[in-house]
Parts: sequence; C-alpha cells; structure tokens
Amino acid sequence: MKKILLYTVVAVLIFSTNTGCNKWLNVEPENGIIRDNYWKTKEQLEAAVVGCYSSLLDNDLVVDMFAWGEMRADMVTSTLKSSNDLVNIMQANILSSNPYTDWSPFYRTINYCNTVLDFGPGVLSRDATLTEEQQNAYLAEAHGLRALMYFYLLRTFGEVPLQLEATSSDEQVKQLVKSSKEEVFNQIIKDLEFAEKYAVETYGDLNKDKGRLTKYSVYAIAADVYLWEDKYADCIAACDKVINSQRFGLVDGSDQSRWFNNLYFKGNSSESIFEFQFDQQALNPFYDLFISTNQQFIAAPSVMEEVYGLDPTGLTFDIRGNGGSLNAADGMIWKFAGASSGTTLVPRTADQSYAHWFVYRFADILLMKAEALNQTGKGQEALDLVATIRARAHATENTFQQPDPSDKGDIAAYILAERSREFAFEGKRWFDLLRYAKRDNYANLNTLLLAVTANSPGYLQQTIINKYKDVRSHYLPINAQELQTDKALVQNPYYK
Amino acid sequence: MKKSLFGKKSFGLLLLVLMAQLVIWSCKKVPIIYSTTDEVNITGYLDAHPDSFSAFRQILSVTGYDGFLSAYGHYTLFLPTNAGVESYLKSMNKTSVDQVDVKELQDLVKFHLLKDTVYSISFTDGKLPQMTMYGQYLVTGASFSGGVTRVTVNRQANILETNLRMGNGVIHVIDHVLEPARFTLAEKIEKDGRYGIFTQALKFTGFYDSLNILPAASHDSANAWFTVLAQSDSVFHANGIQNFEALRDKYNNTTDPKNPADSLHMFVAYHVLHGANYLADIISSSSFNTLAPLQVITSKLSGSTVLVNDDVFNGVHEPGIVLNRNTSDLSATNGVLHEALGALSIKVRSPFAVYWDVCQYPEIMSLPSYYGKQSYNYSLTNLPSFITDPGPATPSYIYGGSPFLYGDYLKIPLGANRTPYVELKTPLLVQGKYKIWVCFRRAGRDNINQVSIDGVPLQRTINFATYIPKGTVAELEAQGWKNYTDPVSSNWQGYLVGTIDIQTTGRHDLRFTNLKGTDNDNWLDMIHFIPVDMDQIYPRFQMDGTKTYAP
Repeated sequence: MKKILLYTVVAVLIFSTNTGCNKWLNVEPENGIIRDNYWKTKEQLEAAVVGCYSSLLDNDLVVDMFAWGEMRADMVTSTLKSSNDLVNIMQANILSSNPYTDWSPFYRTINYCNTVLDFGPGVLSRDATLTEEQQNAYLAEAHGLRALMYFYLLRTFGEVPLQLEATSSDEQVKQLVKSSKEEVFNQIIKDLEFAEKYAVETYGDLNKDKGRLTKYSVYAIAADVYLWEDKYADCIAACDKVINSQRFGLVDGSDQSRWFNNLYFKGNSSESIFEFQFDQQALNPFYDLFISTNQQFIAAPSVMEEVYGLDPTGLTFDIRGNGGSLNAADGMIWKFAGASSGTTLVPRTADQSYAHWFVYRFADILLMKAEALNQTGKGQEALDLVATIRARAHATENTFQQPDPSDKGDIAAYILAERSREFAFEGKRWFDLLRYAKRDNYANLNTLLLAVTANSPGYLQQTIINKYKDVRSHYLPINAQELQTDKALVQNPYYK
Repeated sequence: MKKSLFGKKSFGLLLLVLMAQLVIWSCKKVPIIYSTTDEVNITGYLDAHPDSFSAFRQILSVTGYDGFLSAYGHYTLFLPTNAGVESYLKSMNKTSVDQVDVKELQDLVKFHLLKDTVYSISFTDGKLPQMTMYGQYLVTGASFSGGVTRVTVNRQANILETNLRMGNGVIHVIDHVLEPARFTLAEKIEKDGRYGIFTQALKFTGFYDSLNILPAASHDSANAWFTVLAQSDSVFHANGIQNFEALRDKYNNTTDPKNPADSLHMFVAYHVLHGANYLADIISSSSFNTLAPLQVITSKLSGSTVLVNDDVFNGVHEPGIVLNRNTSDLSATNGVLHEALGALSIKVRSPFAVYWDVCQYPEIMSLPSYYGKQSYNYSLTNLPSFITDPGPATPSYIYGGSPFLYGDYLKIPLGANRTPYVELKTPLLVQGKYKIWVCFRRAGRDNINQVSIDGVPLQRTINFATYIPKGTVAELEAQGWKNYTDPVSSNWQGYLVGTIDIQTTGRHDLRFTNLKGTDNDNWLDMIHFIPVDMDQIYPRFQMDGTKTYAP
C-alpha cells in the first residue's frame, strides 16, 4: 500500500510540473494574429490600409475592370481563343450565369476598407504616438477606395447592395437588399467628402503618391462621379483643384518610344494620378489576356482607321495609335502588352507583365473638364483643352474636327471620340459611351447602338440593336450565385 | 478481476446486447436514392405548373404527345402560357381545346417542338439551327416597344422565360401560340396585293406552279425550299413598266415563256434562290445561285441595310438594291419571301481583264509602317482574309530585295512540312473565258504546283523555280510565257497556267496545290485574268504601277 501511495504522489508531482504552464489551453493560433491583438499600433493601422491596396492587385479585379469597360463596346474584339462567356457578352447574350457578372472582387476590397473603417478609429486610444490627423488620413484612404469600388459597381450594375460594415465572422453575414442608384451615389459622395477632407497631399515618395490615394486622386474620382451624374459645376471644381495644384502635367509626346516608356511601360509618370502598382512580385493577368497565344482580347480591326485616322503615307501618325495603344499589325493591346514603342515593337515577356492599371491620368482630368465645360455652355474652352490633348499626341488631320463652339452636341461627340483615342483599352470606353448616350434622357442612344454592333456578326445585328434599345440592358445582371446566397437580392429588371 | 471482466458469462452478455442493438438498428429505414436525378421531364414540368400551362398540357393529352415528352430525349419546347392558348382559341372562335380538330392540334404541337436542345444563346436574327418537327423553320429576333425589349419567336410571340432545363430538353415560355405558315410562296405572293405584276409573271412563266409545291411533295428534295426576292408593282412602275404586258413585251423573246432560254423566264428565275435564306443567312454569305442558270446575286450588309448586287465592275461602283427589312423574312410553307426595293435583273456584261496585284489587300495597306516599307510575316491566327492556308507554314508580305510591282510581293510556302496548299480569293471576275497568267519572280528550288479555280484544275502546272526561255515575244507566248514587267527582266516573268471558262460572275477561289517538292520561296507578284480574245502581252507594268501599252 505504501508503495502505491508513493507512486501516486510521484505521479501527481510529475503531472503537475508538466502542466504547470498552461500553454495547451491556449486557443490562439501560433503562427497568426487575431483581431484582439491587432489594431493596437499605428504601424498595424498602416499595414491594414496597405492591405486594401494589395487587394487591388487581385487579378480578377483588373480583369473585371477591363472587361466591364471594354467588352460590350467597339474597341476590342474576340479571338479564336476567347472564352464562350466573353463572346456571349460581346454578342449581347448576357445571362446571370456568366462569370463576367461576378462582382466579388470588388466587394472583397470593400470589405477590407470596411474593416479599416470599423476598427481603425480605436487605434488612437491605444497608441499614443498616433495623431488624430494621421489616423484620419488612413481612414480617408479607405473611404476613397471604397468610393472608387462602389463607383465601378454603380456604373456596371446600377443598383447594388451597400455593405458598409466589416464582415469578419459568419454570424455577421447579412442578407442585404439592393440600394437605389441614388443611395449608392450619395454614399460614394459621402465617402469622397471624408476622403477629400483628410487625405494627404503627398506621401513624400513618388511611387506612393501614384499608388495610394492622395487628395488629388480623390478629386479625380469625384470629378468622374460628378460627371457621371451630370453635376458639371462640381466636376469642373474638382478638376480645377487637380489642375491648379501644378503637380501634374502631360508626358511629352515628341518621341513616341520615350513617351510610351514613361507613361505606360514604367508607369508612375508625372501624368499619372492613380495607378494599381503591379510589379515583378505581383504580376498582372494581361499576359494571358492580351499577349500569349491564348489571348482573349485584341483591338478591333477598325480601330486604326476609324479611331486614329490612318494616314496611308505613314508620314504623320498619332502616337497613341500603332505602338501606343495597339500593335496595328496583329491588334495586340499594346498599352499593357508592349515592352517598347517607336520603330520596333517588342511585346512584354510573361515575367515582364507588370504594366500598371491606369485608373486616372492628368489627360483624363483635362478631358473630363472639357466635357463638363461644354455642357455648361463653354464650348471654346472645351475645344482648347481637346486641342492640348491632340497636340501632345500628334493627332492626325483625319481625326480633326472643327465644331462650332456653340454646338454642344458636336463638341460632345468630338470629346467622346478624343477620349476613345486617348484612353483606348484603359477600361473606360463603355462607361464613356454610356455616359454620353444616357445624357438628356438617352438623347444619344444611337451612338451606343452603333458601337455595340461594330464588331458583331451580321446575322445578330438586329437582335443586338433591339436588345440595347432597352436601356435597362445597359447594366449587367447580378450573378446567379449571388442571388442564391443572398435571398434578399432581386435580379435587375431586364434579366428577370 | 481480469477473469471476471472477460469471463465467458459476461462476454456472452455483451454479445447479446450487441445483437439486440443490431436488431433495433435494422428496423431503421436507410434512405436510398433510386433515381439518378430528380429533374422533371417536360410533361412533368407542365403538371407541376397547372396555373400557367394547364391549357397546353391539355393539348398534349388530346394529341397523345404527352407520352414522348415525358420520356428520355432532347427537345426544345416553345411553351405558350394559358393566356396564349386562350387567345389562340378565341381567334378560331372556339372556347375549349376539345373543339379543335386533333390533326390540327398535332401540327400545332409539332410546330412548337424542335428535336434538339436549343438555348437562347443560339438565337439570331434569322432561323433557328434546327427545323421544327412540323417541318418549318422558326425565326427569332428581338423587338423593342414601349421602352422594353423582348426576344420574339416567329414574330408571333414574345419569350417570357428562357432556358428552363428539364430532364429531356429545354423549355422557353412564350406568350402566344405559334402558328405555322399556311401558304406556299406562290400563294403568299399572290395574296399580297402589291405584287400584281410579279404574280402574273410567275404564272406566265410557270414558276407559280413550281413555287406552289410543298417540300414534302417535292420530287427533288435538294431543291424543295426557295427564297423569292419579289418586286412590288411600284418598283416596276418606277422603272417604266406600267403593267404585266409591258414587262412581257420587254423581255419575252421566244414563243414559249416556259422555255428556260426565254428572257422573261430568266428574269423571273433570277428572283428565286435555292434554299430557305432569311436575311440573316443572306448577309452571312457573299453570293447566292439563282434559279437562272449560272447567274448569281451578291449580297452584303452595309450599316444595317441589306444590299444585293452592290458591286464594283471594272472600277465602276454599281449601287445595290435594298431588301426591305420590314417586309422581308416572311415565312411560307416552302421558303422565304423578301421584298427588293429596286429592279433586279440580269445584266449582260462582257468580261474585262483583271490585273491583280496580290499585295494590294486591306490588311496590309492599313499598316503604313509595313505597306511599302518593310516585310511582315503572318501567323496562322492573323492571316489576311483573302488567304486560306492550313499551315503550318504561313505566307509573308515581302518588301525590298529585288521586288517588282510596287516593290513588294507575296511569299507563299508550299510543299511537305510547309503547307499542302494556299488558296486566294480572287477579285470579282465577270462570267467568261479567261487566260490566267501567274506573274512571279523566279526563285528557290524546284517544286511543282497545280493551280485550280473553284476546284477545277487548270491545264498547266507551275514551277516557281524555272526560268523564262529565250525567244521572241510571239515564240514565248506560244510556249505560255510572257514578260509582264517594263523594263523586261529575266527574273520577273508571267507564266500561263491555263484557260478557264468562269461560269459565274463573282469572286472565286484560286488555289495552289503542291504536287512535288517543297519550298518556301514562291514569290508571287501578280495574277492576270485576261479574256481570251484580248491582248495577252500588254499592258506591261512598271515598278510604280504605270501601265505600258503595246507600242
């Protein structure tokens, strides 16, 4: 019995020493960090904000931005290798099962922004070295980015659900209903107002200034948003703030290859306002999309002649045409595919596929201002701005127009055409067309109809025209999977 | 202790408990799925939605077609709602399905059924890829009214819901019943008051009878369907033909208007195409044979206008004739009726020479940095539209070296491991007899190629490596050679590949098929199509394109 007692005592002793540190009861992950331990220092706050930008390099997001902005319009066309889903959209057979209607990459970034906005404000009380001004600057970036995401969704889907809170656990998943276009617009403006107020003017580093939101990139987003909603005075005011800052200018176009190298190949030029910062570590999806033998998009065959006004002698040429936006020989989308310009055109290799995604450039500010000026009856000022853009690009005589300064309609059409030259393949064409067409209660719907049938097969032409005459079809359907997971969502009316 | 735990007694007890448990479990029913799918078939879907489709379900029962639509298969059903069936009955002054003749209902159901699954992505401006089981095509489209666009079927019904997948096919819900065409082309034209003169011409020439035969009754199944481009009386009036007699007097040149050689007969035949071609089909092909022997009409889409016979002849543009979209695409039991807004008639043309510089094509001329400046190698994916090349080797546009006309030529690889043939679409050639000269720069190794036009081989094979023999112009011509350049060069030479009777006016396929040898360097500069009765030697061509005529 004594022996048993002894053994028991020893065993208990050994046991208790072993469990003395109660590590095995610790449920926190060892190689990760949880929210309760985060949001404590300003460095963590900044890291979270930078995380929002990293989510922009998600390849699905840029593919959507390009596809939504181009595939229904007239500047790109499909190849033999294009997916059926893409061809169906190009031929106006748009179903909610089509993966191009998936908006999840946008909501992913929105959720990152929401997380910063929900938990960021608490950091001030925990980190004495963080000033309120600094904290607001971080929050401004999240607000601005969220506004940009919702602006894309607004233009593409019309009505979308507004998710303004972070979703960090399954319990928080809500069945949201769609908000009206007006509500979405108001939310965008609200976000932008905060961002305008608190965003920094510069981060003291060129790459950060172009890769993160500054006051000026927020103004650029605001100008675009106001223009979309036909609020011209606000648009002009926002543009002027960028122009008057004297921080931006057009990249010199006297030498095409240098111009291309600065503006598009390297990126972050003096003309750039906001770009997604792809690099060697975070490649963009454009190699597969535009360059490889399985390329999905090429420039439409009509682009050289109809958009850039081909001079058959080759003596004058628009630097934005062959070697600028596209390779005229095979239709490759050179803005993102080109490694060189000028006399010899060499495409990027797969590991060079890090062309930035150009969200806003200074040229955009000038042409947005021109568009707004024209609508407010200042035609001559608008034409002067267009002339500035054309002079830099050495636009050819064939594309020169001389509308009467009082002829709003002609000037608007001229600006639309100039935008198609300047921002070819930058994911803006469809939105430009739609903004132009829908103005004054769809007064210019015909221009849109010409564009959607420009590259369509003849046997579908009449069907496509009639489909797009229904203005509800100008917005994409909500993806079928979203409808299944969120029962509160209602499909957009055209696709019911 | 050990023993008692695993003793025989307790072990038996344990077994007993286990067995008892097993017995209890065995009573539980395990759900076993016996069917491979829970998808319903088409009939099952109708049964499940009596509110919307009970009327059509009743039609299926009456006709006895509900059986096969509930069995395995691949069908497409255009399914009218109850309201649609009701309005159909009302139009026939009936109140219920039972009052309608069963045979008629069977035809009706067959007209709503296709023997394949057709999803909305295959809807075009024209006919569906499959015929209905009734034996007529359905046409789709989209119509816009009141701010809303709907996809339409046969211009009779709007599609309410698309692509409902069933176990044995797909359903598209429509708001009206589709009714098959009841009249033949001949009857349809006659019933339309605007086609008075044209109808009389049809009757006079005997075409009325041949356009009045149902496809099922036709003895020639390949020519059972027709497309008619009818001309209204007002078009005749505008062209100075006030009545049928005037038309007859103008064309009828034999005593027998049913004689295929009679001009009036040919005039009418020229308005009839083989097959059921809706406008969407007409613009998808560049030319169509008419019933007039060897006479084709060409077609194109200009903007959104459908034009026929809009061509350039010998440098002169002849404006085309518009097919009116609103009064075209009318289905008949044996074809389609379109309305031509202009006078369509056969024109007598005399053949003219075509001196074709193969390097003048839009794809290269729109590249100012290449055309006339530097060479360009094509890949199989971006070949110019007029070249067909199965590969693997591909043609190149070559500028420089020792070029001739405009300083450029087309280099086409031919032979084993290169490409078995290269086919070029020629410019427009008027019906007639031509000598065909291939003009090239001698280069490369021996390889022998056959030249054919529309699959008809020409008399002489060509070897791009042979030199032009020595001799006078007449001696050379007799041997099938000529110098086509000015100044004459021993490297640049024209070689006669044969004489051919071009049967139809239009663009043709000229093919180089490799017979023997293989070589990359077949340097093609021009191809001359010269009518046999014209001068074959002159004009010669200077490098800048200037023609040198016979001294």
